[in-house]
Amino acid sequence: MLFNTLNFGIFLPIVFVLYWFVTNRNLRWQNLLLFVASYFFYACWDWRFMFLLMFSTLLDYFTGLKIEQGGNQKKLWFWLSVVINLGFLGVFKYYNFFAESFAAATAQIGFTTNPLLINVVLPVGISFYTFHGLSYVIDIYFNRIKAERSFVDYAVFVSFFPLLVAGPIERATHLLPQIKRERVFDYARLVDGLRQILWGLFKKVVIADNCAEWANLIFDNYESSSGSTLFLGALFFTFQIYGDFSGYSDIALGTARLFGIELLRNFAFPYFSRDIAEFWRRWHISLSSWFRDYVYIPLGGSKGGVIAKIRNTFIIFVLSGFWHGANWTFIAWGTLNAIYFLPLLLMNKNRNHLEIVAAGKLLPTVKEFSGMVITFMLTVFAWIFFRAENMTQAIEIITKIGSKSIFSIPQFENAVLSIPTILLTIFFLLIEWLGREDQYAIAQLGFKWPISCRWGFYLLLIFLMGLFMKSNETPFIYFQF
Amino acid sequence: MQAFLKRFLLFIFLMVLFYPFFILFCGCFVPQLFRPNINYQLGSYGHMNSRIKEIKSLPSGIDILFLGSSHAYRGFDTRNFNGLKTFNLGSSSQTPIQTNTLLKRYLNKLKPKAIVYEVYPETLSSDGAEATLDLLSNDSQDVNSILMALKVNNIKVYNTLLYGTFVDWFGINRTFTESYKKGKDLYIPGGYVERELSCFMFIKAKKSQLAQFNPVQLKVFGENIEMISEKGIKLILVYAPITRALYNSYHNNNYVDSTMNSYGVTYYNFNNIISLNDSVDFYDAHHLNQVGVNKFNSKLLEMLQLSDAQ
Repeated sequence: MLFNTLNFGIFLPIVFVLYWFVTNRNLRWQNLLLFVASYFFYACWDWRFMFLLMFSTLLDYFTGLKIEQGGNQKKLWFWLSVVINLGFLGVFKYYNFFAESFAAATAQIGFTTNPLLINVVLPVGISFYTFHGLSYVIDIYFNRIKAERSFVDYAVFVSFFPLLVAGPIERATHLLPQIKRERVFDYARLVDGLRQILWGLFKKVVIADNCAEWANLIFDNYESSSGSTLFLGALFFTFQIYGDFSGYSDIALGTARLFGIELLRNFAFPYFSRDIAEFWRRWHISLSSWFRDYVYIPLGGSKGGVIAKIRNTFIIFVLSGFWHGANWTFIAWGTLNAIYFLPLLLMNKNRNHLEIVAAGKLLPTVKEFSGMVITFMLTVFAWIFFRAENMTQAIEIITKIGSKSIFSIPQFENAVLSIPTILLTIFFLLIEWLGREDQYAIAQLGFKWPISCRWGFYLLLIFLMGLFMKSNETPFIYFQF
Repeated sequence: MQAFLKRFLLFIFLMVLFYPFFILFCGCFVPQLFRPNINYQLGSYGHMNSRIKEIKSLPSGIDILFLGSSHAYRGFDTRNFNGLKTFNLGSSSQTPIQTNTLLKRYLNKLKPKAIVYEVYPETLSSDGAEATLDLLSNDSQDVNSILMALKVNNIKVYNTLLYGTFVDWFGINRTFTESYKKGKDLYIPGGYVERELSCFMFIKAKKSQLAQFNPVQLKVFGENIEMISEKGIKLILVYAPITRALYNSYHNNNYVDSTMNSYGVTYYNFNNIISLNDSVDFYDAHHLNQVGVNKFNSKLLEMLQLSDAQ
């Protein structure tokens, strides 16, 4: 069930009504409802993988209790959970990649092997719920939290439907207390949730899906495209992936807010960043902070010598790339970002920009603007690896962009039809800029306007969706991860 | 809680109230480039507008009604069925969903003795959006338009239906007259569209599997057959000829034949019945030129007469 479909449009109000009007007097019933609704939501993709989700949940629930009991077997239970969790992820997501890479490597030295490949669909959301479970058992192991006694509450923490398939990657310390606390019907919070859902849908169905059409067209015909066309394609993809993933996150956060639950913020206007370190504090925040807390800091973080800093930086960026998928292009994307980030870290300039750009002002300074443009261009360049089917394609695209043809006029099939997409993206960027100091772009936008104007603006967003949304169902990019 | 629900419902009410006006405004004043989801194409490809206007002025009671996609309106030349009163109600990419709407609208008026229903497998695989837009743009709206839109379930279709409804109400484009001659096409009264005679050089097709049939289309196809049978009208399903190269590029022709035969209705696959030349008898991979049409129609007439005699 996709967020941008009629099915979800029916499912959500039903759960909402049951939650606030039927089970509202009993927290346990509310949590049970969320548990059942979440499993139903997940089963709509493929009911068979529901059992994998249930197994993963049971595993971490029981190992969490055993770890907390301490004793000689504490370490055993901890590693059992870690190995099985990563084992599932490895088999479903990475097995074929390693088998094929091994075969290719042995072929290089003259040995031919026929690796046994498995033909299995990647369970939706496995990377996300595995990381939920892992953070939970790690936190118990290091005595940061207590194990959860209620299985239903724990299951809701892992499988809460707004975040189940593409995050944000939650922490037990943040979400579990909210699940255990009574939720109060709060008018302002609910309206805010609806507003964030609206903005998320606009990002997805208007910006991301329309940009996707042109990005796909250009990347699919990269062999016959000029450098300027490919650069334009990379720009379209840059806004596609932002609109798609941050749009998803907005819908997830808004939906959770409808049930009185606050999820972790995942995006904070990353394309307005002044350097790459700031970008990574603003892009997919829940994943970046997960790697920071559970990999980077345990490795020593930035406290060791230069070699240790370089090693740790490369480890988390490469891991982050590899988390996205079993392909060398993702590893290259992660490595490239590590290369971007490293000079800032080594010069101690990685925490220069902690606040949003031009706070309290309408326009940035020339220095801020140039920093934003350079960071944006570096990001666009890195997205080429992320979007390319393989390394050969990525290198060919970059070679063409670096050629003289970058100065030609972009040409592609029905190019004139892309004009509305470009204008809509400019409109979108303008709104994002105006709302950059808030949690999401339209969180406070128009609060000083008369209600008719504010509602008129929301209606305009809905009407633009009706005018520009794609007819076919378009899944979110991050569902494949 | 009550305040939230009141405000939410008020917002939904305003949205439902103003959306049609927004669509009307965009349809009237915004260029097509900036309203991709309102695709109201009056007098579009396929002469559906002329066909609908003609059918409304046609007297009741005809011998043969032709239905189907462009293979129908470019394949059944009503002038070739001497002495028989025929009408061709084919339309661009017509799928069973549009056929269903057309049957509900015009079957009682036309009262045909027989229906030749052209079945091109790809129309059974399609979602039917393109053909729905054609029909919404060139015929007036009624409850069947809504039912058709719900079956197709596509935002472009819903918007175009809304705009089409306004067009009907306000009488916009009422004076529109479609030219019978458009490019190389000439509309022949009776519903057939004749293409200027030309031949075709086929570029080798890739071997491709025909897509699986869309279950919604298949269900409606069954309903169409049932509706026709209930009225006691003789029904013949016809797979019109396409170029041999294209036909052979499909892997699952046997599956198509067995599906059509499963309905217990006379079914002719003319790709296995007559021998045509890809270059001489066609003007593109899908469509017969006039030479091919004449051969095809003559064979069809012969088979219809034979089946009548039996």
